[in-house]
Amino acid sequence: MLHKQKRLKVKYLNSKGKMIKKYSRYLPYFLIAVMLIWHSVLYAQQMRYPRPEFETQYTYPEYQYNYQRAPYWEYLDVAVLIAALSITSWLVIKKRSRQGIMWVSVFSLAYFGFYRQGCICAVGSIQNVSLALFNSDYSIPLSALLFFLIPLIFALFSGRVFCAGVCPLGAIQELTGFKKVKVNPKLEAVLGAIPYVYLGLAVLYSAVGSQFIICRYDPFVGIFRLGGPYTIIIFGALLLITGIYINRPYCRYLCPYGVLQGFFSRFSWKHLTITPAECRNCRLCEPSCPYGVILPSDNLKNTEVTEIGRKMKLIYGALILMMGLSLAYFFYNTAPLLARMDKRVSLAREIRLEKEKGIKAVSEAAQAFNESARTEEELFEEEVAVINRFRAGAPWVGLFLGLSLGIRFYRRIIRHPRTEYEPDRGRCVSCGKCFEYCPVKIKTE
Amino acid sequence: MKFSENQIRLFRNLSVVSGIFTMVIAFTMIMSLIQLKTSDPLEDPALKSIIEQFDKDPENADIAENVRSLDLIARKAYFAARWQLETGSYLLLAGAILFVVFQWLSTGQEKSARGKLPPKPQITEEKERSKKYLIVFSSVFFILAVISSFALRPLLPAPGEAKKGIRSEETGKASAVLPVPDGINYPNFRGEGSRGIAGGEGYPTDWDGNTGKNIKWKVPVPKFGKSSPVIWGDKLFLTGAEGSVFEVYCYDKNTGDLLWTGTGSDFPGASKDVPETDEESGMAIQTPAVNKDAVCAIFANGNLVAYDHNGNLLWAKNLGMPEHTYGYTSSLLIYNDILLVQYDSELRLSVIGFDVKSGKQLWETSRRGKPVNSSPALGMFNGIPQVIINGSPEVTAFDVMTGKELWTINGVVNDVAVSPAVNNNFVYVSANYEALLAIKPDKSGATVGWSDNTYTPDVSSPAATDEFLFISDGTGAIACYKADSKEKLWENYFNSSFYASPIVAGGMVYFLDRDGVMHVVKASATYELVSESSIGEDTDSTPAFSEKRIYIRGEKNLYCISAD
Amino acid sequence: MEKRENNIKSRREFFRKAGRITLAVPLLSIPALLAKKAYSEVYVWQIDPYKCTACGLCKTSCVLTPSAVKCTNAYEMCGYCDFCPGFLRQGARAYDTGAENQLCPVGAIKRKFVEEPYFEYTIDEELCDACGKCVQACSDFGNGSLHLQIMHGLCVNCNQCRIARVCPSDAIKRVPADVPYMSKDLNKSITRKGAAQTKKTES
Repeated sequence: MLHKQKRLKVKYLNSKGKMIKKYSRYLPYFLIAVMLIWHSVLYAQQMRYPRPEFETQYTYPEYQYNYQRAPYWEYLDVAVLIAALSITSWLVIKKRSRQGIMWVSVFSLAYFGFYRQGCICAVGSIQNVSLALFNSDYSIPLSALLFFLIPLIFALFSGRVFCAGVCPLGAIQELTGFKKVKVNPKLEAVLGAIPYVYLGLAVLYSAVGSQFIICRYDPFVGIFRLGGPYTIIIFGALLLITGIYINRPYCRYLCPYGVLQGFFSRFSWKHLTITPAECRNCRLCEPSCPYGVILPSDNLKNTEVTEIGRKMKLIYGALILMMGLSLAYFFYNTAPLLARMDKRVSLAREIRLEKEKGIKAVSEAAQAFNESARTEEELFEEEVAVINRFRAGAPWVGLFLGLSLGIRFYRRIIRHPRTEYEPDRGRCVSCGKCFEYCPVKIKTE
Repeated sequence: MKFSENQIRLFRNLSVVSGIFTMVIAFTMIMSLIQLKTSDPLEDPALKSIIEQFDKDPENADIAENVRSLDLIARKAYFAARWQLETGSYLLLAGAILFVVFQWLSTGQEKSARGKLPPKPQITEEKERSKKYLIVFSSVFFILAVISSFALRPLLPAPGEAKKGIRSEETGKASAVLPVPDGINYPNFRGEGSRGIAGGEGYPTDWDGNTGKNIKWKVPVPKFGKSSPVIWGDKLFLTGAEGSVFEVYCYDKNTGDLLWTGTGSDFPGASKDVPETDEESGMAIQTPAVNKDAVCAIFANGNLVAYDHNGNLLWAKNLGMPEHTYGYTSSLLIYNDILLVQYDSELRLSVIGFDVKSGKQLWETSRRGKPVNSSPALGMFNGIPQVIINGSPEVTAFDVMTGKELWTINGVVNDVAVSPAVNNNFVYVSANYEALLAIKPDKSGATVGWSDNTYTPDVSSPAATDEFLFISDGTGAIACYKADSKEKLWENYFNSSFYASPIVAGGMVYFLDRDGVMHVVKASATYELVSESSIGEDTDSTPAFSEKRIYIRGEKNLYCISAD
Repeated sequence: MEKRENNIKSRREFFRKAGRITLAVPLLSIPALLAKKAYSEVYVWQIDPYKCTACGLCKTSCVLTPSAVKCTNAYEMCGYCDFCPGFLRQGARAYDTGAENQLCPVGAIKRKFVEEPYFEYTIDEELCDACGKCVQACSDFGNGSLHLQIMHGLCVNCNQCRIARVCPSDAIKRVPADVPYMSKDLNKSITRKGAAQTKKTES
């Protein structure tokens, strides 16, 4: 192999006197090279072919970029949200108008659902908040934060009015549920536990920066957008068809935001009441609620209600704590399994399987990894880091699930007998279907 | 609002009709969706097979017409499905709204009948039940926790896992050894890994090109070039160029028959430009590289081609005309399935990894400094196979698999043209009148082990074993250093100068000078000249060694030297 | 009895009030915690063309069919090649617009003669379905001027982009809505390179 410039240097040995001539030949190239170095940054891209120098009057075409609606419109959404919540609160608590709530539902479905296409949504905002709380490098869009907070603030004042008619997911089910099939209370209780798990996992997956599972499995977004992954559209359609008979299945058996709404609604300042005045225990309202959340007054005949002693309360407390801690420990152990849903972990697993067992890694991610400059060490380190994040987060999910289930039982153990018919504040979505069943009317001036 | 019986019946019927309508639309939509997502009309096997046919017979206008019409049908089907989805979704929405409204109107009027009410719940019963559940669930969860600790704990990474993972990685990589020169294949410039060491033994030491002694065969090479021969199996590859025509040659290494000639200048995207360089070196200055699948060749204007062993073009591209004052000269290097290209241009200074079979770019890493004329060499330090580049001013190593920069150190600056010599401990680089450096890569980077300036090879690249470092230079000097110190074991001078790189083979070192005379010296601590043989023709190319034969490219001819 | 009833009621009221206050605390502390991090600008999703490997998942993973991702040509990088590898399939014999020579499965790339030997390539967005075949070919064999971008006239700006979730090279990220496109033209590459260099000198 020969290297030209070297030859120049050794020319003095087999000198034929051409050296100076040779050098001067390169001078213009050298100057050009110096000039080009100046531009070298410009061409650092893979410019295999030079930019054409057009001789005709050719001008570069405009980029075909187009733009979305102006960004500040998101604040209109917040304003609409506040207005809709205020109107619904008034309709639920003061006006007691089922008709009105229905019209708000129609509006919300049209605006938040079909016009805004199901995004921005309070249900999904849980994930933005949890990601922002546990990750210093993520900053949350202000509108998402407001969409998370405002409905909860309203829940603290007037119950789940957001669910009643503002949430587009609730609205679409509210408008399509016109038959009432009662669900067995035991089944209802079992299915009703799913949202807690869903909430726990959604917070976990977003807190560790893995993925937004609520958005991934949002059943109605495909319907709002009139398109999308067909598995989700079919799931949404099935849910809606079910909802005709078993009303609001998503709200009752899936919605994670409903769990939070329930917490706040339990302690709300005002809440929907079945009767505008005093309950006569006529039992007329009993079949009116499709969700089975009307708590009947107790049959107190032949029963002696006994107070529970301090000692028993301590035992129950210990049991609840045990439930929480057991589940926390269970989830701690499950963390690596939960982490497998993470794409970084599943990629690392795929690469490791390829290395150890010779199973060819074929996924797009594996191909992209092989093309990238990342090393396997980096990938495996990241995998361990992700699993450790899951390990740190998962016990809290378990603790939350155990404690909330325990407290649910405990509340029933210590509860006082009811003398009136009242809605279960945690589960009632303030739809107002019970209004017209109550025979008690107050005279309005 | 109150409706009459008739009206309600009408609403009910209308709702049934709109319901059926919605169902039909939904069904067709789902079908189109599935069709779009699963069986892509654009991936139609019929279309694919006819295109294959067309490739075999590209002149056939009928097949071309067939492709066009089938393509049109496929596209029409695709866009029809898309149109169905778009319109279908609006129809679906309309149908659903109608259905809901009519259902609402027809059933919303009926108050649900007051059926038989269940007995009121007994508060004490409920309390007892709750107590029972509390106890049951807490014990169930406890058991679950205990079981999980046995069943799932092993999945948890141990606290020190992150470090352990890396350690096991290292041992895993250590088993990935560099290919050892095997005596048959001579795949790159300066042999396996471009390290100046040939496998096998029993190579001839005595021949004469003028009398034909021990010259097995001699064939003229069609076009001029300074590139060196490379060998895979029974095939020998060379490149040559004249004007703007560049060629790749494949010879039978046993007979000297030219098996096939491939173009390096006539393919879509090829550059026809010929950079103005020294006529003496020409366009075919880079040595090709070969592996079991392909032979790859690059030319001074950035044309890069890959042929399979039978002369079929696998892929070809132009990397862009290198802006290089002295011309672009770096030879190719193949490690397993990765083609490594040291690309030297004022506009783009980098090292690129390509997939040998497909030509797909795997990675590209920028380098710092200015263009040089050295070629890359393969090394293995810290268990990582790496491509080492003698740049100006840095000597840098890149991970062969990923292109990640592994270490870098300031080396030589002026007119860098010598490729690095690599053994298991050191990387040796040199530049004329500057220095000969022994660089020792370690865990944290690299340090200069020793340096000397008595001999500073300028064109000819040194060769290193773990014991010795052999150099030859443009002044006609040859020398041997101890590999791990600057101690010179022996030195000698000849009348001619050296451009070809020395090769260590079968216990000898072969120094080929510019007049075509091979000086064979024992590869030992004391100087022992074994023989001096001439091919009778000037040469600047490095010889190739395979199966007891030496292949030398002279100015015009290719020689096979064999003692049998 | 009456008294006991009242007792219960007032106790219940008390609990409710206490609960309300305890719940209000986290409700107020969340915005307090996030106040510094919440931003009022709006962000949108975009593909970093320098990370994109044109794997084709943009075509199949978007919530929209066809995808909101489209191919664009950075004209100032384009070589206007006669043998455009993004337009012609590999192995095409003739450099013309015949269907048998085209790479794009939907025929979305339009070829227009400019002057000898240059051709202009534009993309018909109506047709493009973001399969990325041309992008891959252009970056492997051409100048790399063809690249994929999320078109904001189509994108519905999901809370988490469905493509980002599966993107193997993490190329999809949020960018300010004021500069919603990451064009691959030459000016951009200066800033990128400049940024990379300053980073290196800092560290």
